[in-house]
Amino acid sequence: MSTAGARAQMPTLLRQRAWRSLRLQALAVPAYFWTVLFFLVPLGILAVYSFGQIDILTYKVHFGWTVQHYVDLGQKLYRDSIFRSLELSFGATLACLVVGLPVAYFISLQRRLLEYVLLIAVIVPFWTSFIVRTYAWIDVLSPGSPLARLATTVGLSRTGLLYNNVAVAIGIVANYLPLMVLPLYIGFKRIDPALREAARDLGAPGRRAFRRVVLPLATPGIVAGCLLVAVPATGEYVIPSILGGGKTEMFGNIVADQFLTVGDYPFGSALAVSVMALLTVFILLIRAASSSFGAEGTS
Amino acid sequence: MTPLWMRRRRLGLALITSVVLVFLYLPIAAVLINAFNKDSTLATWGGVTGKWFGQAVSDPEIRHSFVQSTKIALATTAISVAIAICAALYWRSAGRWGRTLLDSTTFMRIALPEVVTALALFVMFRRLNITLGIWTVIAGHVMFNSAYATIVVQARVAALDRTLEDAAADLGAPPRRVFRRVVLPLLSPAVIVAALLTFTFSFDDVVTSLFLAGSGTVTLPMEIFGLVRFRVTPEVNAIGSGVMLVTLTGFTLAAVALFASGGLRRTIGRARA
Repeated sequence: MSTAGARAQMPTLLRQRAWRSLRLQALAVPAYFWTVLFFLVPLGILAVYSFGQIDILTYKVHFGWTVQHYVDLGQKLYRDSIFRSLELSFGATLACLVVGLPVAYFISLQRRLLEYVLLIAVIVPFWTSFIVRTYAWIDVLSPGSPLARLATTVGLSRTGLLYNNVAVAIGIVANYLPLMVLPLYIGFKRIDPALREAARDLGAPGRRAFRRVVLPLATPGIVAGCLLVAVPATGEYVIPSILGGGKTEMFGNIVADQFLTVGDYPFGSALAVSVMALLTVFILLIRAASSSFGAEGTS
Repeated sequence: MTPLWMRRRRLGLALITSVVLVFLYLPIAAVLINAFNKDSTLATWGGVTGKWFGQAVSDPEIRHSFVQSTKIALATTAISVAIAICAALYWRSAGRWGRTLLDSTTFMRIALPEVVTALALFVMFRRLNITLGIWTVIAGHVMFNSAYATIVVQARVAALDRTLEDAAADLGAPPRRVFRRVVLPLLSPAVIVAALLTFTFSFDDVVTSLFLAGSGTVTLPMEIFGLVRFRVTPEVNAIGSGVMLVTLTGFTLAAVALFASGGLRRTIGRARA
């Protein structure tokens, strides 16, 4: 082949390569198109709204660039309800952890078949409809139900089991427990059994071996489980709406009410932006804490 | 011989685990039992009946919302899976920055509370004077479901062996045919899992649908959400049982497909290691 022919071929090759790389970039377009249009732009509008003002008479939003809404968040009325809602989601996460730990540990101790059966048994409820699983607690806790009648005879509750903080917490724990148990189980499973035996051989009684050896090593699983439960629990809307009977408000409901009932978009946006900031800080803090344990996250 | 304290502790753990399992299945059992319960007050057992299911199925409002839910879930699945396949293929050949950017935008779409993302979309549509309806719901569903689908397909793409494609190309197959005859069949288990998950998530979604549906569109979960705010009737329990059947089937098939493709075994194996 002559050199002239080779030289003539060069641009075609280059063009081909450029064409292929362009086609490759084009593959990313649908994902970015949807992310920008239906995720980033709406959130951007929300952020801008949070600095805007609302006309009390016409309910029209105009932009005056004010931080008043963020200052308002500090008002006693809002501050208290935000703290109460955060308390509830942290309490529910903690309850999830307390309930999930023994279950995950027990499953991790089993042999193959029973291990699989128990794992599947924990996951399957998660596969049934979220909304049905949530309202189902009305069936279980309503005044006429066997459980409620038992509670009244024992004298456990006089006001009823439904439509209060406890019912909401039960709903959250029941819905999110699999999200806690699975990472915990993986965390336990990753621990070398020899370490547990070593602790026992060195004379540590069972409880101390668990507390000093097993639990610290399972930290990545605990962190992942708490994150997986705490983040959706903080923004929960459906569970408090159904089981709280309109009395129990969580952050998700407080935000949604501003938009759907009150109609104060700027203040609602400020609330939504704050909850996002809060969760981001929370996630980053936990990530930093877990990496300082010298263990990588399991999620 | 296991020491006594250890056996006692295991017994304690077994007891707690059984109580927790009862706690998890109690609400599901209550819905199923009451869907067949002849006693309409749900307080006592009045014998078996199928009339609540008949009532639910013949209710035009319920039928309409079932059709709406199915339409939304199907459209969401189609769009989400298409986005996921493209994104995963891009991810495979992308550089470090391209991968990081794609991964973080995928993660972001799932990590934020649904209430916030759905409300942000609601505000945008209102601002642009777009009428809320079936398409705004689909836009919202695709927003987070495409992220789940991307994660599933991407995991499979990462495990794909390039030598098979190279072999096909060496044997003279043009790129398009390599994609259709080699890459796509290799990806199909992940695509099936992604499609099943997406369909089920979309079919069962409450929050995004609630904020973006407007007044004309009602999905089945929205219908349930509205009904149980007054009172749980046997008919609601019959609808609930039906919805549970759909979601349970979807997730079970996804798990079976995942297991058949070896994904689950690999996950558990990694957990053991």
